[in-house]
Amino acid sequence: MSFDWKSYTPVIIPDIPNLHEIDVYTKNGGYDSLKEVLSDDWDPTKVVNEVKAANIRGRGGAGFNAGLKWSFMPKPDGGPRYLACNGDESEPGTFKDRKIFEYNPHLFIEGALIAAYAMQCSAIYVYIRGEYYSWIKMMEKALKDAYDKGFIGKNILGSGFDVEFHVTGGAGAYICGEETSMLESLEGKRGYPRVKPPFPAQKGLWGRPTTINNIETLSCVPLVIKNGADWFSGIGAETHPGPVLYGISGHVNRPGVYELPTGMPVLTLIEEVAGGMRNGKKLKGLIPGGSSTPILRGDALEGVNMDADSLREAGSMMGTAGMIVMDEDTDMVEMLWRISHFYHHESCGQCTPCREGTGWLEKILLKIRNGDGEIRDLELLIDLCSQMEGRTICALADAAAYY
Amino acid sequence: MPEIFIDGKRYEFEGKPKLLQFILDNGKEVPFFCYHPEMSAPANCRQCYVKVGTPVQNRETGEYELDENGERVIRWFPKMQTSCSMEMTDGMVVHTQESSEEVARAQKDTMELILINHPLDCPICDQAGECPLQIQTYKYGPEGSRFEVKKVHKPKRVELGPRVTLDAERCINCTRCVRFTEEISGTHQLTIASRGDKNYPITAPGMEFDDPYSLNTVDICPVGALTSTDFRFKARVWEMNQTPSIDITGGKGTNVDLWTRDNLVLRLTPRYNENVNTHWMPDEARMAYTKFNENRISRPSIKADGDNQIKTSWNNAIETFAEKLEAVKPTDVLVLGSAHASVEENYALMKTFSTWGVNVFHFSPDVKKGFGDDFLLTDDQAPNTAGVKALGFTETSTEDLKAAIKSAKVVVLLNDELVDRGVLDSEDLKKPYVISLATNETETSKSTDLVIPITCIAEHAASYVNVEGRIQRSLPAKETKYTHRKLDLEMSEGRLDRYGTNFDNWVNEDNKVDCTPTWELMNNLGKRLGLSVQFGTSREIMDEIASSNSSFEGVSYEKMDDENGIQLTGMNKEEVSV
Repeated sequence: MSFDWKSYTPVIIPDIPNLHEIDVYTKNGGYDSLKEVLSDDWDPTKVVNEVKAANIRGRGGAGFNAGLKWSFMPKPDGGPRYLACNGDESEPGTFKDRKIFEYNPHLFIEGALIAAYAMQCSAIYVYIRGEYYSWIKMMEKALKDAYDKGFIGKNILGSGFDVEFHVTGGAGAYICGEETSMLESLEGKRGYPRVKPPFPAQKGLWGRPTTINNIETLSCVPLVIKNGADWFSGIGAETHPGPVLYGISGHVNRPGVYELPTGMPVLTLIEEVAGGMRNGKKLKGLIPGGSSTPILRGDALEGVNMDADSLREAGSMMGTAGMIVMDEDTDMVEMLWRISHFYHHESCGQCTPCREGTGWLEKILLKIRNGDGEIRDLELLIDLCSQMEGRTICALADAAAYY
Repeated sequence: MPEIFIDGKRYEFEGKPKLLQFILDNGKEVPFFCYHPEMSAPANCRQCYVKVGTPVQNRETGEYELDENGERVIRWFPKMQTSCSMEMTDGMVVHTQESSEEVARAQKDTMELILINHPLDCPICDQAGECPLQIQTYKYGPEGSRFEVKKVHKPKRVELGPRVTLDAERCINCTRCVRFTEEISGTHQLTIASRGDKNYPITAPGMEFDDPYSLNTVDICPVGALTSTDFRFKARVWEMNQTPSIDITGGKGTNVDLWTRDNLVLRLTPRYNENVNTHWMPDEARMAYTKFNENRISRPSIKADGDNQIKTSWNNAIETFAEKLEAVKPTDVLVLGSAHASVEENYALMKTFSTWGVNVFHFSPDVKKGFGDDFLLTDDQAPNTAGVKALGFTETSTEDLKAAIKSAKVVVLLNDELVDRGVLDSEDLKKPYVISLATNETETSKSTDLVIPITCIAEHAASYVNVEGRIQRSLPAKETKYTHRKLDLEMSEGRLDRYGTNFDNWVNEDNKVDCTPTWELMNNLGKRLGLSVQFGTSREIMDEIASSNSSFEGVSYEKMDDENGIQLTGMNKEEVSV
């Protein structure tokens, strides 16, 4: 790729001091997109179409066109409708949304408000993982400021549009990042994923139409409104455009969150952006988008780009772009066991294949790790994974079985 | 009409039934654990997998697309579908385990996973023999297990509440119990605690599972995780006989099964009746079984000197009964029927005494105001209040009853614990000569001069009319000294009766009560008094009532059995409520 990543100017987390303060944010053009959307030139359908045209593919892992998702909401019937923002971010290897909470919370708030307007929602819920305690506090402060300025509440900016905005903290369960169990958790229940159909757009929070978006996805929305759909879809990979927050961790010299266009070559990201492999070791493997995406071999990354199509070809997924880089010293059995331990620990226990299967997987892997493995254990592992994959309510078991 | 093809066979359906229920309704089978027809389908056990496809329709014409053989083109769902949550659509094609190897394999896979952390302690588990997990494992499960590592350990012998004990290791997390407290009883007392393979149902910390319907969770538990604290370790299921009957502790007429072994009733469980109690029964009603076994009056007793009762012979009891009556005028005799006794018993009593010359018949209703709820508990504490009324007994207040007793010389009291439930004081029964026909030894029976034992609901076939005017009947479950399982055709035959040898069928003669049905007692009394009354079996008595009393028109045992009880015409809830 000839793209000069060094000349890229970040837009989601731009380099502006104290941007998390509302005055700094408004001074730098913040909430202008909201103002524009609420002006007479725009109506909800136009917003949906604009976002659809921008082709923002969901940054929470599934990579679904956000505008298209919004258009699935049924027509308003006078009852409440909700937007639920997923900031649970508990996927191992993923730590991008916290950057937004920390450095540019108002961009997300503005995006959520525009989305709520586009879908005519009456309330917005943002669900932030409980471990992000300080960011929950920051978000509460940011919302209070936005309320005070009249960006949230009744009759926003004199447009007649009302919306309420609530923050909820999680209690430390990975599964609450799954959209339907997040809804259960928001309702105050145990975080069990729901059986679909009905989908949240038909019956979501409290049985009402609900759309669930990732924090980063919503943060792209004000940029689309401000710069136009063409600008957005012109950035990065053609089928999976836009700026994206790469969370690079593992055995690299400069781990961190880097905002760059999609479609970056994986090797450029590792070698240049993240400063290369630690101690000059060789690359052994890469998990491209958080622990739920299948692992790629280090020697098969030539020409692989960080976008949905290229990664699918390589046999993995974009996920949350939380890249876990592993060098040649990594014990893959140990890694596998650790990840399976995670899924065992985090399985909600609602449905059988996942509840029992994740525990069994971990126990077999522990046996192998301890050096007591037998060849038939491998056959059993493969068999077990096929017994779990596609047989459960949510995708946790699928994710656990990809390894 | 919409159609569906299940295992190659065509069925028609109406509305939007769920696939699993439809399959079960049509006499086919798919294994399942978490689904219950009365509750929501969480689809969490993943056992009821089927393969489902829908026909491909032309978008414009709506016609089904056909392949080169003229068969409909089917678009199969990419994944196995849980039939419990699958809504049926027109033209759907379904393969169950019967016609698809793939489905059978998927079910086997789930079963293997369910079993890995299950303790497999069937030999010491109360549920064994009536355990959906055990039964379905034999039918659809894998042979042996590939699980060679350590099982998860969870709390055992947890007393969730006064009546229910939990063994969390046996739990397969179907959440039926949790959903029961959420959706049926509405107490929300149970929830699932912990996560993954460590989770199990429990109450909130420090709270008790004292739901008035808590024992229903034991019935619906598809494994032995929830057991009845009272019934635990008392009997194996296959040693017991199961006999349909009616609850006698309330006015609702909840349908129950009596479980007997060795002539003792060991437990009561609800019996499905969509018009009365569906699948449920209150905990209150389950303890009634002790009355069938304990403190039973066996052989008549008579007050010999002072207040001491001694056992006497049947001949002497009948003779004394008749002599006491012959010594007074019919107007001096007070005959009390009972809402706690069946229609047939009250009828036999009434007919005998009206033939002898008594005109007025009373009964004292047993109502506790505020006891009922809008589910299965009623203010009415007696099973047959409406039935006694329909026979023509007069509902009598406590004051009137006391006055009537005072002015009577002889009182005949059909099974009703008037002293125990606080209507009368034992002093009230001092003056007249009181003859009680009773099942159990109580303060009431102790206060009377002559006690004649009669059969209880567990020993006879008889009918009861509930608060909604529905007549339902019991079947005999226990033998008396004068009946025999093999000879009484109404009695159910258990596995041991059918297949056991004499050595299996250990019967303790002490558990047989020396008593007779009221109508047989009335036959003997009538004969001694020279009355022209003669009663046959309770079945014949009901036919007689049906032809002579318009309230019971059209009622017969056959019809009651066929229709699971009959709604009496001219009776509705408002009319008969007390």
